[in-house]
Amino acid sequence: MTAPQPSVSEHGPAGLTQQPGRKPRQRRSGSLRWALLGPALAIIGLTVIYPLIASFISSFRQWRLIDSPDPGPFVGVANYARAFTDAGFLNSLAVSALYIFVSVSLTLVLGLGIALILQKPTPLNVLTRTMLIFPFAVAPVLKGFSWRFMLNPEFGVYAKMLGAIFPPLRGYVWLGHDFSALLAIAFSEIWGWAPLFALMFIGAIGSIPAESTEAARMDGATSFQIFRKITLPLLAPVIYIVALLKIISAFKMFDQIAIMTGGGPGDSTQTLYYFVYQVAFRNLDMGYASALSYILVVIMAIISTFYVRTLLKGD
Amino acid sequence: MRGDLVAELPPLPRRPAPLSRRLAQGAEVFGALAIIFFVMFPLVWMLLGAFKNEIDIYSTKLFFQATLDNFRAVFASPVLLGGRIWISALVSFLTVAITIPLGAAAAYVLSRHRFRGRNTLFLLILITQFVPAVVVAIPFFNLFRAAHLIDTPLALVIVYLSFTLPYAIWLLRGFFDALPVEIEEASYIDGCNEFQTLRFVTVPLVLPGILVAAVFTFISAWNEFFFALILTRSESLTLPVAILGISGPRGPMWEQLSAAGMIVMVPILVMSFFIRKYFVEGITVGAVK
Repeated sequence: MTAPQPSVSEHGPAGLTQQPGRKPRQRRSGSLRWALLGPALAIIGLTVIYPLIASFISSFRQWRLIDSPDPGPFVGVANYARAFTDAGFLNSLAVSALYIFVSVSLTLVLGLGIALILQKPTPLNVLTRTMLIFPFAVAPVLKGFSWRFMLNPEFGVYAKMLGAIFPPLRGYVWLGHDFSALLAIAFSEIWGWAPLFALMFIGAIGSIPAESTEAARMDGATSFQIFRKITLPLLAPVIYIVALLKIISAFKMFDQIAIMTGGGPGDSTQTLYYFVYQVAFRNLDMGYASALSYILVVIMAIISTFYVRTLLKGD
Repeated sequence: MRGDLVAELPPLPRRPAPLSRRLAQGAEVFGALAIIFFVMFPLVWMLLGAFKNEIDIYSTKLFFQATLDNFRAVFASPVLLGGRIWISALVSFLTVAITIPLGAAAAYVLSRHRFRGRNTLFLLILITQFVPAVVVAIPFFNLFRAAHLIDTPLALVIVYLSFTLPYAIWLLRGFFDALPVEIEEASYIDGCNEFQTLRFVTVPLVLPGILVAAVFTFISAWNEFFFALILTRSESLTLPVAILGISGPRGPMWEQLSAAGMIVMVPILVMSFFIRKYFVEGITVGAVK
């Protein structure tokens, strides 16, 4: 390894067997390939592909566990048709859309704000950056409990602080009103995500050449103009990808809803994901839940295709 | 002496930085402190709560008589947190022990071998990562019920593999890709076959990446709530589900919940601190380069 290696290409020593139009010789063995890949593929097949197929089949059957443990007759597309006349389902779509909009936009704004404040590597800022990973690592269940505790109108520390700053909010039941409950759930999630986004943005801002911002400053640009005209456009690809990532996570969010509101008040925080859970494991209506979960899969597939495509484009 | 020859002038007063600069600096410090507050306060508040008694927990005071009673209470009946820690650790370690070797083997092939369908296969594995847990949960709930596997650690490990394995393959492939292929070529020239090269050259070199993947896998299994809620009843409750039981007639017993929360959280925070440099990459898996 110490000897200089002349002209080594990615596929092996060049010029040994390479001919134009032919793949370079590989020393990699085909049988080892499948021995190494096989176990992982078998497990993915069992744990992901099998349930996808099983759900798909049961989405066309009537199957209520209260009546019988065994699946009932096939009912065609009745389960899917039922969804589109079910007010609960339609409501959950709207709640999911609102939740995604609120949580994604707030995470981006807060993440950008944190990144801009911490972008200079002063000792205080570097120390602060180290702390940014901690909220994300906290179990979502604990995030839910922690925010529910702090927002309690009688003894919650955040509720009291907010009441002290805006006296009309004193004693406000944050989890008892439609929009504020949604916002509270969003914040318990944003608390983890925004600092992490900030770290990504700081990394991306660091790769912006200093000359371009210096030149703009010499020409008399204000900080806001530099942000608007230089930083933001250069951050746009990063913003796009993290926004997609956040949309996916907001769509699948379950733990904090279960802990903080249980879908309430009324059904104002009942997202599509939570609704499917309710139908499957509270109402035990497996046929209908399977159909609903397939609608979820289709929506997720669309979003994640955008995400994966963008990722692979970078390769 | 020198003062006799050249008159000693009083030092020039240092001109203060312009007010706008000082204001900006002050604002930056204030901003950083506000961020520290936003990020750390909920953690600190839970830490304080864990040491408050059942009366102080309902006040917002910062100074109080600290007590360890809450930690004693959660390890006693009915929560018996000791057994829950054991189950959570068992499930998380088993998940890591299966995910990492299989994931690394698959990631190696997807990084180094060139064969037809490789990119399609990788794309499929990427996409399985986004299959919502609830879709996986419905068939497995019914399968495990028929097989009497509900409320066993094995059931949890099986469903956890549905998200840890695709994720680990994705993350580990990045680490293999980052390793220059020339190093392996040198080993082939020295006469090693592929397996020997993998065993003695490639794997040792990507070991840091493998450790990072192991920690992320452990964290996601340890923190997992949704599957554990559905697939456990009493024997195999993991920590995140067990703490739901910390409630009295007036709802959650926040002081004990905080103590249990610290036990769930602290090991994870320590691990996160050690792999902090990989955190962004671990979450986005190469999304942001």
